[in-house]
Amino acid sequence: MPDALEGIRVLDVGGGVAAGYATKLLADMGADVVKVEAPGGDPTRGRGPFPKGQPDPEASGLFLYLNTNKRGAVVDLAAASGQRTLERLAGWADLLVHDVHPTAMAAHGLDWERLHAANPRLVMTSIAPFGLTGPRATWKATDLVLWNAGGVATLNGDPQHPELPPLKAFGDQAAFQAGLNAAIPSLAALFARLGSGVGEHVEVSAQEAVAAILELTFEFWPYCGLVASRLGAKPIQPLCFMECRDGWIFVCCVEEHQWKQFVEIMGNPEWAQMDIFETRIARGANFDALQIFLQEWCATQSVQELYEAAQAHRVPFAPVSTMGDLVASPHLKTRGFFATLAHPTAGEITMPGAPYRLSATPWRIRRPAPTLGQHTAGVLAMVGVDASDAGAGA
Amino acid sequence: MTRRAPLEGIRVADFTWVWAGPHCTLQLAHLGAEVIRVESATRLCVTRLLPPYAKFEPGPNRSGYFNQYNQGKKSLTLDLKRPEALAVAKRLCAASDVVVENFAAGVMDRMGLGWDVLHGLRRDLVMIALSGYGATGPESTNVSYGPAQVPLSGMSSVTGYRGHPPMHVGVSYGDPTGGLHGAVAVLAALLHRARTGQGQYIDLSQWETSMAVLPEALMRFTMTGAAPERDGNRDPHMAPHGVWQAAGDEQRWVAIAVEDDAGFARLATLMGQPQLARDPRFVTLAARKRHEEALEELVAAWAAGEDADALVERLQGAGIAAFVSARNRDLAEDPHLRERGFPVTLEHPEVGAMMHLGVPWRMSASDSRVRRAAPCLGQDTDQVLRDVCGYGDDEIAAMRTAGTLA
Repeated sequence: MPDALEGIRVLDVGGGVAAGYATKLLADMGADVVKVEAPGGDPTRGRGPFPKGQPDPEASGLFLYLNTNKRGAVVDLAAASGQRTLERLAGWADLLVHDVHPTAMAAHGLDWERLHAANPRLVMTSIAPFGLTGPRATWKATDLVLWNAGGVATLNGDPQHPELPPLKAFGDQAAFQAGLNAAIPSLAALFARLGSGVGEHVEVSAQEAVAAILELTFEFWPYCGLVASRLGAKPIQPLCFMECRDGWIFVCCVEEHQWKQFVEIMGNPEWAQMDIFETRIARGANFDALQIFLQEWCATQSVQELYEAAQAHRVPFAPVSTMGDLVASPHLKTRGFFATLAHPTAGEITMPGAPYRLSATPWRIRRPAPTLGQHTAGVLAMVGVDASDAGAGA
Repeated sequence: MTRRAPLEGIRVADFTWVWAGPHCTLQLAHLGAEVIRVESATRLCVTRLLPPYAKFEPGPNRSGYFNQYNQGKKSLTLDLKRPEALAVAKRLCAASDVVVENFAAGVMDRMGLGWDVLHGLRRDLVMIALSGYGATGPESTNVSYGPAQVPLSGMSSVTGYRGHPPMHVGVSYGDPTGGLHGAVAVLAALLHRARTGQGQYIDLSQWETSMAVLPEALMRFTMTGAAPERDGNRDPHMAPHGVWQAAGDEQRWVAIAVEDDAGFARLATLMGQPQLARDPRFVTLAARKRHEEALEELVAAWAAGEDADALVERLQGAGIAAFVSARNRDLAEDPHLRERGFPVTLEHPEVGAMMHLGVPWRMSASDSRVRRAAPCLGQDTDQVLRDVCGYGDDEIAAMRTAGTLA
């Protein structure tokens, strides 16, 4: 079977998760992606996790995940010769995705006017913390800073402990959101190019990508003049964590009929008939009291049994899965979600697999992530660059 | 030169509700697809029934939640429980390039709008189902909502303060993450279709897309046998790295991330304690990580005496990554975002001119933007039935009388 993006040529000039993930999405659907790395290697090679916890640039889990199906070439973009190589590669490519900071783009040869002149069909996607324009375009950010700048961190934290700070989500979530928001217009620009024949420059603001997922929070200001915070509880309840006797469960009754089912599962306790719990909005307003009743009952239950009972009643509870639960899940096993592949230095590794299943053009892993410089010679030969002039740091 | 929308001429029949599906079709609307929501007045989209309502007055067209994630779309009302409505839905699907739905697995089949039926009507159709658990597997019939995907995916077990219970992430993260992955898959399928003429069916599980963005935690387990501990805002490769309360208003917090030793030296100078950069407890990242609690106490004491906005300006001026922990009002009034045109104010028939957040990307040649405010319930029913499905005015009037369009 063919791949959805077969024949589409992509350059990943990433230094982090955002460009790496955007181009991984494309590589895993069949695009021919070349990852351009500096002589010292991509920073994610230093991030891990590592087998046995020992740092090894050829065995970083994050790098191995983000770069499946890509070829790797070392090009020193700090050198003039490396920038000439990049220009040749841009002539080969349909799409270039990067997350080099705006203040450093020119120094890396990422000059849109020049690359566009060299290849009018090129689509170039620039991912920046705060975009390429505006008074804060040169500001610096990390994932923590972007999760706060986009307004999601302020919503998360312990309402009972206002002295504890706004809390980030685990991992590089701002970067993943930016990467997803880069893949979408990149593909759209390639689609537009089928008709127009010309490429274009796409820019993505990671701050905006985070703010775009604020759920109903942002609108509280324009619609009602309310400043939202974690202290303004979810308007509907229960939608909360409860501790069972053997772990944690997420109690989720978004609709009224789901609450009625849950009350039945609990054996129709008298307290559940109180007026203050009558509607989901009332339960939200009286959550302090609700929480006490619910916690007392849940503490006697097992996570798996309560989860199954709720699902049998069509109520969307979920266990608070541990990593071990997920890897062992019979459902995920049946679907073949986790991908296991052999890597020349890291050995056999297991990672998250297909995020979607396309019936005619299946997602698949054709090769593991490249070792540092693994495909430099072939990639350079492909664009007619002499290895000694490549800025390959060799 | 006229700017064309990338998806101009692409029509999407949108059977989605709540957030994951609408977030998928929102991206397609930003790109210029004609997105037609199939809704029903007899079973309203959950988000039409959620606050915030404009000026606190409830109403199906007044919810900020619905109006944020359905910008640029049209609304057709059909009571799909009626067989004659089903015929209309089929005509709409046959006239569409893409069908998007996020009901529980099996619901579209039971309604008579499954892939086999629709693919029979149109061979080059692209159809995507965004369900909680996916279309196959022993738990595929489970019900799932976005908020439950955060714990289900494992995100909650590794998110939280050190030594405290698992936490959510503040939003129903499985929804937008599923929706964005869905948009990626649809665009890839459209590119494939444009080159081969072949349509296809896409099975997306929100559970799986939520794990796709959690590789570090999952792979730490598969590579070492141990999952990461909940560790608040800390990072193994940076210190100090956290969010600290500034002076004044108790909700003013500042996120600060110091990326290397040189950055720490600049921070120490800003703090008026340059000697900290030479202190053996803090001189290297390894040392700072070993003495992280003491380091965080020093930063907390310093930040508590500073104005949040001024502090961020000074930190950024010194090349240190920092930002206030932005609240909704901060984002709405942010001069940077406003100058970039990210908040969009469009006239809505019921709530008037209202601000929403727009498109997180800009395209230099293509026309990508919010094209209109979210639709009122059934706002486009007549136009869609006439221009897309080819019904005459008499037929439409008869359907309305019969209750088909409720």
